[in-house]
Amino acid sequence: MPGADKEADLTERIEAFLADLKRGGCGTGPIRGSGETARETTALLRKVTAQARWSSAGDLMEIIRKEGRRMTAAQPSETTVGNMVLRVLKIIREEYARSRGSSEETDQQESLHKLLTSGGLSDENFRQHYVHLKANVIEAINELLTELEGTTDNIAMQALEHIHSNEVIMTVGRSRTVEAFLKDAARKRKFHVIVAECAPFCQGHEMATNLSKASIETTVIADAAIFAVMSRVNKVIIGTQTVLANGGLRAVNGTHTVALAARHHSTPLIVCAPMFKLSPQFPNEEDTFHKFVSPHEVLPFTEGEILSKVNVHCPVFDYVPPELITLFISNIGGNAPSYIYRLMSELYHPEDHDL
Amino acid sequence: MNEEELVEYFRTQMRTDPDMASAVAAIRTLLEFLRRDKGETILGLRESLKWATDCLTEVDSSVAVSSGGELFLRFISLTSLEHQVRAIHSHRLLHIHSEKNVGQSSLKASPPPPCLSQDLSRCKKVMEERGELFLEKISLSRTKVAKLCHTFIKDGAKILTHSSSRVVLRVLEKAAAEKKRFTVYVTESQPDTAGKQMADALRRLNVPVTVVLDAAVGYVLEKVDLVIVGAEGVVESGGIINKIGTYQMAVCSKAHNKPFYVVAESFKFVRLYPLNQQDVPDRFKYKADTLRTVSDLSDEHPMIDYTPPSLITLLFTDLGVLTPSAVSDELIKLYL
Repeated sequence: MPGADKEADLTERIEAFLADLKRGGCGTGPIRGSGETARETTALLRKVTAQARWSSAGDLMEIIRKEGRRMTAAQPSETTVGNMVLRVLKIIREEYARSRGSSEETDQQESLHKLLTSGGLSDENFRQHYVHLKANVIEAINELLTELEGTTDNIAMQALEHIHSNEVIMTVGRSRTVEAFLKDAARKRKFHVIVAECAPFCQGHEMATNLSKASIETTVIADAAIFAVMSRVNKVIIGTQTVLANGGLRAVNGTHTVALAARHHSTPLIVCAPMFKLSPQFPNEEDTFHKFVSPHEVLPFTEGEILSKVNVHCPVFDYVPPELITLFISNIGGNAPSYIYRLMSELYHPEDHDL
Repeated sequence: MNEEELVEYFRTQMRTDPDMASAVAAIRTLLEFLRRDKGETILGLRESLKWATDCLTEVDSSVAVSSGGELFLRFISLTSLEHQVRAIHSHRLLHIHSEKNVGQSSLKASPPPPCLSQDLSRCKKVMEERGELFLEKISLSRTKVAKLCHTFIKDGAKILTHSSSRVVLRVLEKAAAEKKRFTVYVTESQPDTAGKQMADALRRLNVPVTVVLDAAVGYVLEKVDLVIVGAEGVVESGGIINKIGTYQMAVCSKAHNKPFYVVAESFKFVRLYPLNQQDVPDRFKYKADTLRTVSDLSDEHPMIDYTPPSLITLLFTDLGVLTPSAVSDELIKLYL
């Protein structure tokens, strides 16, 4: 029966995605970049919306939440999955509100104003059925997908405003967004890039190779030399894995060092992060914040006698507090870290923050 | 309702429920005042409510009572505005409908204004209902704050707090209920040694607590993981007004790089923008009796101080976890 086939196909795709997520979290960087993960998640959610059986917005939100919980449980450090689920939930809420005809301001964030003027406790249970809701939601998800596809280009387009000729720019490790950003600026300006290699995974080497292929003068330095070289750097431009709700970052190991060195020399720190990396989490959950991978990169297993006497850790991420960051460049423009709360309220609904 | 009845009602509210925030008691008193008010116009109502708020601040000069009063006044304005618009609109519709029935053209000049006293009583009824709902919602706010904040207290944490705050107590209760183990340092908080009350309450919860001198804040901070304080008022810049000694604690925690968290309910947001300690109005700094009896305030010790937003890490409110920059946004949404 075609229906059963489609359902089986959908479940198969979800299972394959989950397996990929579980496998993909090794230290050498995920098998896919976060942009691809975001697109894949959104495409899957669109399929779920199209194929699953639901009659009201409430049912659909329950289904999406369930799938979302499974996906985030597979790889908690890959926050883009959770972020996309939250975006889709917000889309559903908006489309429902639009179908009901109520203005979009109602049922948005809690505010003092709402406390004072609403005529009763919110009994919005999304139970009503609307004929065009499915089509509207799928259309909105398609718009989201288009936005996701254009993020790197949107960020790269802003490069010329921030990078000037004969500047020395420092970056850490490898970020596809920063790479595109620098390559775009290199078309019209001549500047020098210093890449910190970011041990033990040494993704900086790959970044340096890619940049030099685009005829940008690149230098690779060891992480220990970051502070020493910082006095000659004009700007630091980095990517990140996640942007947290307080404006802080969860970025690759070594970023905090760069941020502190930049603060000491009063060098501006610019973070290139697309909107889908914005997560409503705060850096309080220590158990889920960090991810540790096999320490054989730090101390290989061949060093047998030492291993029994020494504890070796290999964390993947670093926390960078918001005070050290100067500017966030995202696909919607440049923003200060203190403005992140506003962007968060526009992207996600507070009731969805804990899936 | 005259002044004595007002003050008596307020005092009774504070007495019967010592756990109630002073702003909630003030709003409850003003709601009762609204019920008993025999005015004929909305403007008269606003005037008498302003007078009532002033009476209450004579009794309890804290920022919270003032912000509660202003919030209630704003609530009255918003409700009456909404109701007037609805009343005129429905009257117009009724008028046009009746015109159509008679067969005349519906092109008439603006209809006569709706009957004021009948509308006022309906408006007041709506206000009373909404007021009750509002009170219900804000009585839940401490629980919401506790729910948001307790996840930031980790197992084995050492917490420093200042003086006695019922919201902080609620947060710590929730954390203890979640089976987290933590120890608390409370400053004694002169001149009223309110810290001792906090310590007693915490001992009843079986939380290990130590009372420290106000002067020992710098000494204790190296042992501490985080600082949580309450607030009497949250100002527009995102800073807070709280018991004297809070500013000191904030400066020391900044120096030691410890997170400084503030827990406050949303009705404490107040439309002040102090730039330094001197900017905080005198009527908040000293107790109501002191303001009445003493002529030269420079000899008196202020009871509160202002902590600027640059020293605060996060604010936990019933509207969510906010960074200090988000506070002015909330106030703008309400007042402008």
